[in-house]
Amino acid sequence: MEYIELVAKKIELNKDYVTELDSITGDGDHWVNMNMGFQRVLKDKESLASMKLSEMFQKVGMLIMSTVGGSSGVLYGSAYIKAAKVLGDETEMDINLLCEVLEAELNGIMERGKAKPGYKTMIDALYPAVTRFKESLEKGLDNHTALQELKQGAIDGMNSTKEMEAVKGRAYYQAQKGVGHIDPGAVTMCYQIEVLVDYLCK
Amino acid sequence: MKKIINDPNDVVSEMLQGLVKAHPQLVYFDEVEVIAKKDKAEKVGLVSGGGSGHEPAHAGYVGKGMLDAAVAGNVFASPSPDRVLKGIQEANTGKGVLLIIKNYSGDIMNFDMAQELAGMEGIKVETVVVRDDVAVEDSTHSTGRRGIAGTVFVHKLAGAKAETGATLDEVKRVAEKTIANVRSMGMAMSPCVLPGVGKPGFLLGENEIEIGMGIHGEPGVEKTSIKTAAELAEILCDKILADYDVTGNEVALMVNGLGATPLMELYILNNEVEKKLSKHNIKIYKIFVGNYMTSLEMAGCSITLLKLDEELKELLDAKCDTPAMKV
Repeated sequence: MEYIELVAKKIELNKDYVTELDSITGDGDHWVNMNMGFQRVLKDKESLASMKLSEMFQKVGMLIMSTVGGSSGVLYGSAYIKAAKVLGDETEMDINLLCEVLEAELNGIMERGKAKPGYKTMIDALYPAVTRFKESLEKGLDNHTALQELKQGAIDGMNSTKEMEAVKGRAYYQAQKGVGHIDPGAVTMCYQIEVLVDYLCK
Repeated sequence: MKKIINDPNDVVSEMLQGLVKAHPQLVYFDEVEVIAKKDKAEKVGLVSGGGSGHEPAHAGYVGKGMLDAAVAGNVFASPSPDRVLKGIQEANTGKGVLLIIKNYSGDIMNFDMAQELAGMEGIKVETVVVRDDVAVEDSTHSTGRRGIAGTVFVHKLAGAKAETGATLDEVKRVAEKTIANVRSMGMAMSPCVLPGVGKPGFLLGENEIEIGMGIHGEPGVEKTSIKTAAELAEILCDKILADYDVTGNEVALMVNGLGATPLMELYILNNEVEKKLSKHNIKIYKIFVGNYMTSLEMAGCSITLLKLDEELKELLDAKCDTPAMKV
């Protein structure tokens, strides 16, 4: 829950930047929606903290989904609910399980949104992050290095959206207009991974 | 912005509360913004929904012979899966539920997810997606054609089929047949104002109109100068007929207002559309003129043609009793 609190704070602090990015290509409401979702989750932090892992993920997913609505809500909701399934009866999260959880979230978002990497969406931050994380673990790199790979993958991925043309989502119809600008959905996704890694490394 | 509201945040729930006061045969579920029938018959359940701002869609079509439940999202935003799930639960009497979805990316994702959640509860759910708008292939809100006023015919015919006690597969077949035979095309003369935003979603000059925009004011085919009713009938019908030639067939016609167009103008347009269709040897079996699928106070209209056969005619004529449509 401490992690969710930190994410909520990070998102809250970056209102102007995210909103500006979204106004260029979208409706300008991405920040409002994300902020609303995480603030809503925070409201239930005590009851969430007492749940077992899979229940907690399921509940976070449902809360974000019903608070945010629209496309972002259901995408994040699908991610957390998919992750809850992977968690099953586990009571503690180790680094390999974390990797599985993130991969499940990635797949949840890709399936629900019928989208792939390269579409200039949040997936472009999450996909390279998960890929590099997984490779690092497979290569047997130490936990700290693997986590840094996860974070750097997200940052590089987020930055790579700058030169992409949108294929999906609201930004699509202004595809050309978006070139040269980072995708706001990739930014908020990257924030969540950065905060996660910094939190775990501390 | 001048609107009869209290607080922009409360427009959806207060609207639905007002609706059930006028139609006590319906019941309203707070927070999930679901409207359902009070008396449930044992049959396949029909659920539709989407963003608010398209009144009387969708709650206005709940009643005998059409929908069993309607789910409202915020203004122009898809309802979340938990809301849709509640709609499914209310419509389900054990014979399964059909979801009628308009082709918008947000609706597709949220309704799909609701279908999965309902599946986990053991409720059998099937979906159909309406894509009747011939204006543009892809849009700001959809991959593929948008679903607009033609959806009302899908509610009507699938609803009539469900009323006969048909199975879920049979009701779905009729819904899909209706979708395959229905086409629409719209135009706008003025934009709409979202209650929470307070300014127009797009701009049109004094003498300018937009051909083919969607029901959220998203871009259409072209901006052009104001036309006569006869010219508009020509433009809209030609675009539909170019896509789907119904020459020599019988059709149902819907002349739909987008919220701020008086019936006077819709009847004038209807007069012109009838002339235009008869020139093409298209026989009109039944005509619906009114506000069926709107965009808040947008001025403008859409034309919908549904090609009929004996089966569809019979279902179109079947009795229905809802706040917004009675046959």
